Amino acid sequence: MNPDAPPVVALRDVRYVYPSGDVAALDGVTLEIQRGQVLAVAGQNGSGKTTLTKLLNGLLQPTNGSVAVLGRDTAGRRVQELARHVGYVFQNPNHQLFARSVAEELAFGPRNLGIDEAEVAARVAEVADAFGLTGHLGAHPYHLGFPIRKLVSIASVVTMRPSIMVLDEPTTGQDHRTAGAITRLLFGLRGAGITVVCVSHDMELVVAVADRLVVMRTGRVVADATPREVLADAATLSATRLRPPQITRLSMALSAGMEGPAALTVQELLRDVRASGLDRVGGSG
Amino acid sequence: MGALGPSIEHVRGASWLHSANPIVKLAWLVGTVVFALATYHPVPLLVASIVGLAACVSAGIGGAVGRVLLIFAPLAASILVIQTLAPASCAAPCAAPVALGPFDLFPGGMTHGLSLAARILAVEVVSLGVLMTTHPSDLFAALARMRVPYLLNFMVSMTLQLVPILQREVANVLAAQRSRGMRSSGFGSVIPAFVPVFAGAFERVQQLSISLESRAFGSSGRRTSFRRIGFGPMDVVLASLGLVAGAAGVVAGIVLWNADRTAGTTLPPLLVVAVFVVAAIVFLGVIAAGIRAVLQA
Amino acid sequence: MGDQPIISVANLTVTYAGAERPAIDGIDLEVNAGEYVGIMGLNGAGKTTLGLCLNGVVPHALPAEVSGALLVAGIDPRTRSIHDNARVVGIVFDNPEFQLSQMTVVEEVAFGLENLGVEPAEMPARIAEALALVGLEGVDERSPFALSGGQQQRLALASVLVMRPTVLFLDEPTSNLDPIGKADILAIADRLHSDEGMTVIVADHEVESLAEHADRIVVLDAGHVVMNGLPAQVLARVDELGALGLRVPQVTEFAHALRPDAQELPVTVPGALVWLEAR
Repeated sequence: MNPDAPPVVALRDVRYVYPSGDVAALDGVTLEIQRGQVLAVAGQNGSGKTTLTKLLNGLLQPTNGSVAVLGRDTAGRRVQELARHVGYVFQNPNHQLFARSVAEELAFGPRNLGIDEAEVAARVAEVADAFGLTGHLGAHPYHLGFPIRKLVSIASVVTMRPSIMVLDEPTTGQDHRTAGAITRLLFGLRGAGITVVCVSHDMELVVAVADRLVVMRTGRVVADATPREVLADAATLSATRLRPPQITRLSMALSAGMEGPAALTVQELLRDVRASGLDRVGGSG
Repeated sequence: MGALGPSIEHVRGASWLHSANPIVKLAWLVGTVVFALATYHPVPLLVASIVGLAACVSAGIGGAVGRVLLIFAPLAASILVIQTLAPASCAAPCAAPVALGPFDLFPGGMTHGLSLAARILAVEVVSLGVLMTTHPSDLFAALARMRVPYLLNFMVSMTLQLVPILQREVANVLAAQRSRGMRSSGFGSVIPAFVPVFAGAFERVQQLSISLESRAFGSSGRRTSFRRIGFGPMDVVLASLGLVAGAAGVVAGIVLWNADRTAGTTLPPLLVVAVFVVAAIVFLGVIAAGIRAVLQA
Repeated sequence: MGDQPIISVANLTVTYAGAERPAIDGIDLEVNAGEYVGIMGLNGAGKTTLGLCLNGVVPHALPAEVSGALLVAGIDPRTRSIHDNARVVGIVFDNPEFQLSQMTVVEEVAFGLENLGVEPAEMPARIAEALALVGLEGVDERSPFALSGGQQQRLALASVLVMRPTVLFLDEPTSNLDPIGKADILAIADRLHSDEGMTVIVADHEVESLAEHADRIVVLDAGHVVMNGLPAQVLARVDELGALGLRVPQVTEFAHALRPDAQELPVTVPGALVWLEAR
């Protein structure tokens, strides 16, 4: 990542008030996202995190302040135009799925962008392969189980090849196996150099995949740092009201005997514990 | 519901109208509707509207009602304009037209237009007065008290709840599909817009029905009701008054004001011109706004 | 509390009409009165079907072939109406909004009582009690659809609790909720179990919470019971559960890496601290 490169997304003092309300859903947010970053946005419902992401693809326009995507202001630009650059995966796959087959579903996005049929077919095959959906291409999306529908909804946005992907709660409501598949997919996106913005309250996902964690509360950013700096620090945690992963809580409880910041994953705690000799009594280490 | 403009929702309050028995209110509403449909003469209709409006104002919902009526204004204007220029029905032969530049304004047509508009206005004002001061649950409880079958009540109330929910779902689906580059209009957007909504609605209804069954819904045996609407002697009197007033109005309407459509009221030419000009301005303004909105979409 | 289990299931097999394979395939299970049982399993493992068998929705409302023995509070739910079963078993489902249908919060809670033919005079007190149990106060006249997801789920729970069931089955109650909503609903379930003595069965993916509160964990896979025992023992089988696509609490995974042969492992943070010290 080139720190001198211009940010792919820049929000400047953005305020957003819903037409029907008098409460500001966003109240002065300034944020920059660099190319290739994986940014997680967390916060309770009503904190403004979803509102924030809807500004990125033009679904909402800021009431005050400005939003720039790939260097250009989003003001006056239509969602369909920004969709070329910003892919948005909604939380509920049922809001997207309409086609008679998974293949049609995957082709919908690129076709809307005017990509020619040969290229569309190539992208569908490639993405289906990456998502393990090749065997389901002919199936009707509603005949597939919820976990697969979720993968289809993500894949159907990936085929549009946006340089920025926004995902709203990708692992919520998923069982462990599918959550794992989605986590691996996010790694894949990051590996392909795509900038990822992921709204999630799944702290294990955040810890596994995100470079940066932004926490929102009542329309403002209350924390913006690496997951480790946010989740492993008691002071920040109380400000954000997030609950760190269980292993981090164990790590913090053990911190008396160990050096360094709290562990964020099981592997990290194992490493810390072995290094400090806390595991020494009995058993194989 | 706010998305469609000012809402026709229950406005909280403690006025006499709010606390009136819902069955009584419904009876007055029925009386008004019957009266309005049977009356041709605009003056009694306008009087009824003014009385209704006064009741709304005294109940504290004058502002809310006024906002909804504003939406009605373009409709009234268009009725007046069209009827004055090309009357559908008037005293035959239509009373001599008043000339306004290249246009011929027919006073008889304007009377007809006023009559139509006043009819709509009277029914609207009283309907709003009832709907805005009565909690939907009380309305349904009132219907139940009048022995409307529970299932019907439930279906109607469920449908009313589903409308804003489905509106929200349509908005969500449209947002999702636009985010995948779908064009907003044209045939290609219908299926991607509506299939997900129907599928979602179907799933919702399936799960809801299991949840309802699990709470013993639809089972045989006695069903009791939590919300009860009293209907004492005073309420009976007041409700009957409403129905009687409506009936009397119908009789008067037919006898006094309807009997001879050929009579009609002759409006003074100046009044005709004035009303026409105002109505035309409103009418054209609405058309202009409509064209602008279409061009910008 | 008698010595008969409140729920006993023997060789239960359920095949939905038109389905190729059974949703539940010969399961045996017993739940004692006042127990808190956690059920784990992937989507499609049979968790929901099990719940719906307990209150008779399967097969009365959802046609299915049901064979085997099933007793809830001494009676086979198949032999009586859903109406009567609803007095014994209450079920809360995963999507809060899909369980709501009334115009106001109080009416939603009253709904079950109306269906049961309870006297109107009794209703206000029972409704207030149910709303207090779930901590939903001050929203009586609001529309259920204007509440937050967490509030809606608590309302759904209240509308079930008001019927005073003996057994409460929560079918993935947290999957559509944010962390605060999740914590609230599971805390209420725990309170109902410990303070009110209800028999609580929770099928969920929040394994850390299940591990903390459940007396017992049952693991379902493709309609079979594959594990049934104390949380510390069931969750210690980390690799087997992983092969089934299920996760264990992080502290358990951690402890397993330190002692792969252990038959029992800690499942909570305090438990892990004790476990580490004891070694």
